[in-house]
Order: sequence, then structure tokens, then C-alpha cells
Amino acid sequence: MDEKKSYPFHELVFKKEWSYTTGAVMLAILSLALVTVTNQAWGVTGPLAVWGGKVLEFVGINADSWKGFNGSIARYDFFTNVPSITDVGIVFGALLATLLAAQFKIKKIKSRKNVYAAIVGGLLMGFGARLSAGCNIGAFFSGLPAFSLHGWVFWIAIFGGAAVGSKLLTKYFM
Amino acid sequence: MAEKTLDCYGEACPIPLVKAQKELEGMAVGDVLIVSIDHSCAMKNLPEWARSVGYNVEIEEVAEGEWDVIIEKSK
Repeated sequence: MDEKKSYPFHELVFKKEWSYTTGAVMLAILSLALVTVTNQAWGVTGPLAVWGGKVLEFVGINADSWKGFNGSIARYDFFTNVPSITDVGIVFGALLATLLAAQFKIKKIKSRKNVYAAIVGGLLMGFGARLSAGCNIGAFFSGLPAFSLHGWVFWIAIFGGAAVGSKLLTKYFM
Repeated sequence: MAEKTLDCYGEACPIPLVKAQKELEGMAVGDVLIVSIDHSCAMKNLPEWARSVGYNVEIEEVAEGEWDVIIEKSK
């Protein structure tokens, strides 16, 4: 093995995983900053639904007339839509973090089962997020500090869902 | 003293942890299990669990974004 220089600051900040406490404090500070600057709580899945609607419009389906969209596809503007910007930010931020830690890797798809699981899981997550008008960020993470009851309801439901989900996971995916 | 390798490349959390727990159950005291992972969160929960039950753990970064978690069933 060749001699390696040590960079303690880089090691601590970019390489070593942060503790849950550090992560929680950072999330709190950044989400507070987002609310202060944009007057909007952090959300993720709203624009994803509109992007899906845009695809439907593109193939000739008038999704904008549906009750769920109700003209929001036509009104949508990427650069003035805060969650759209933060969504793109999440992807670039994650890429930056993994590059700074020198942990970037394109992962191999291991089995066909994983592909089906990813597709079915993604559809269920998207469906659930829109039915509950938000995901674990918009409905839960942003709901609790706003003292909104729906955040607590979401919390209880997510515990139940996670308990059933992990039982299914160990039963069928191991 | 047997040594076993568990290939968990491409598997997301918590699958590497559950697989390692299952594998270690059937191993004898003194055996070594090497879990190959490429999901960084498994690098946290797998050693955390193994240390909490009293096993010896070592982590080796084998390539960019790839790690071997070496667990000795020490008791």
C-alpha cells in the first residue's frame, strides 16, 4: 500500500458519515432557512406530479382538466416553483456529496427481482404521496414543526406501514 | 475458523444488515464473515449492530464507494 496523506478536516466533514444528531440539526437549520427565504415549507413530490402530468399532456391526454390538477399544469413555471428548484438541488447536492467523499459508483443491477421491486415500490410511493397530499418531507417533516395534526397522523401511519413493509421485505426478499 | 464472503453489492439498506444477521446465525464462534457493500448507509448500521452484540468489526474501503465489512463472531 502506498503512503497516504491524511486530511483530517476533509475526513471529518466530507468522508465520515455524520451522526444522526448532526444530520437532524443541519436539516432543522436548512429547512428554517428555506421557510424564511421563500415563505414556503419544504416539499418534494408536488412538482413530480406536475411533471407526470406534463408527460400525459405531451402524449395527448388532457390531464390538466382532471380534478387533481385543475389547471396547475398550465400554471406551472419551473423557475418560480420552489419545490422544483429544491428537488433539482437534492440531486445535485447528493452528487456533490458523494464526489467530495470519493464514493461515487454506478451500481450494478443485481437481479430482475430488484428491477420489479424498484418499479412497484416507486409507483406505490408516488401514489401514496399524492393521495396523502405530501410525502415524508412535505406531509411529515414540514407538518410537525407547523404544529399541524396531519403530521402526527402521518407519523403513526408511517410506523404501521414500515412495520408491515419490513416484515414483507424479510419474508420475500432475503 | 471458517471465512465466508457475502456479496451485497447493489443491495440497499437494510438488506445487507438482515442478510449478515441471518448468515452469522449459522456460523460458529471464531468464524469470520466478510460483507461486501456499496451502499454507504450499510457501512453505518451493519458495524453498529455487530458491535452492539459484541462482535469484532473492521471496515476496509476496497474501492471508491465499495467496502468490506469484516465481522468476527467473537462470542
